[in-house]
Amino acid sequence: MTTDGVPTWEEVARDHGRFLYNVAYRLTGNDDDARDLVQESLLRVRRGLETYQPGSFEGWLARIVTNVFLDEVRRKRRRPVQALPDDPDRVLPTVAGADEVAVAAGLSDEIQAALASLPEEFRVPVVLRDVADRTYEEIAGSLGVPVGTVRSRLHRGRRMLRTALVQSGALE
Amino acid sequence: MSTIDPPEELLSAYLDDELTAEERALVEHRLEESGEWRAVLEEVQETRELLHSLPVREAPTGFWDSLLQPDIAPPVQLATARARRGKRALSWLAGAAAAAAIVAVVVVPGQSQVKPAVATLVNRHALRSSVSEEPVSQLAPVTSPVKLNR
Repeated sequence: MTTDGVPTWEEVARDHGRFLYNVAYRLTGNDDDARDLVQESLLRVRRGLETYQPGSFEGWLARIVTNVFLDEVRRKRRRPVQALPDDPDRVLPTVAGADEVAVAAGLSDEIQAALASLPEEFRVPVVLRDVADRTYEEIAGSLGVPVGTVRSRLHRGRRMLRTALVQSGALE
Repeated sequence: MSTIDPPEELLSAYLDDELTAEERALVEHRLEESGEWRAVLEEVQETRELLHSLPVREAPTGFWDSLLQPDIAPPVQLATARARRGKRALSWLAGAAAAAAIVAVVVVPGQSQVKPAVATLVNRHALRSSVSEEPVSQLAPVTSPVKLNR
């Protein structure tokens, strides 16, 4: 902790990293992109810590990770990336995340897949509300839209998510 | 009670406790009247609970350790690093120009009857460097103009 009460970059990573990674994973839907998103978010956190105004710290983090995610979505739309052919020599990480262990017992995979199928404009408010536990006002601030828009997108997002779960057979 | 039908999207906000007292009363009134609204409420509530029940996704083993190692910690902002590199290069050039001028005056006296205006030469050279006319600085791998007045 610095003398002015603002956490250091390392403290943010240590104390809020779990929250950050979870939100990043639910937004992106895979570990590779979640790792990139967390790293880029922490870069912005480091730059922004000097001007951080005490308040809801996780709200501030959620805002940063959302902005980084949406920037990346826009960048990919401008310059679509072609998938590289499989490289047999490439060593992929094999360590499973903790929730993969719990998947067998629940609907975690199906919910994540349904979440990933939502367009970003609906996925982001759903993740910010139901995963990151942010208020409508915070979500509106993160997205730069009125609270009424958050209400509408969140409700539609949840309805679309349910439809996707029914279509996949996860729900009746 | 208002006779205007409230929009269905208020149901999510109702579950999240994000309504004004007036909106809440509207929704509750509508729920009493409409079986369709009650069915939607039930579905949204179930979806919301499913999302809340998702386990926290942990980062793969070793991710945080590798991130927190000093040599892998987030690097200084690229633009800042470039600017610093540019400043260093210009300092070198200015220093080299000053040294060359001193050598010309002190080490090789008498070769010319004209006294060189050292300060003017150095300043002129530094000025040229600062506007990127110096060929050596053109070789530096800097893709954007360097700002010196930071």
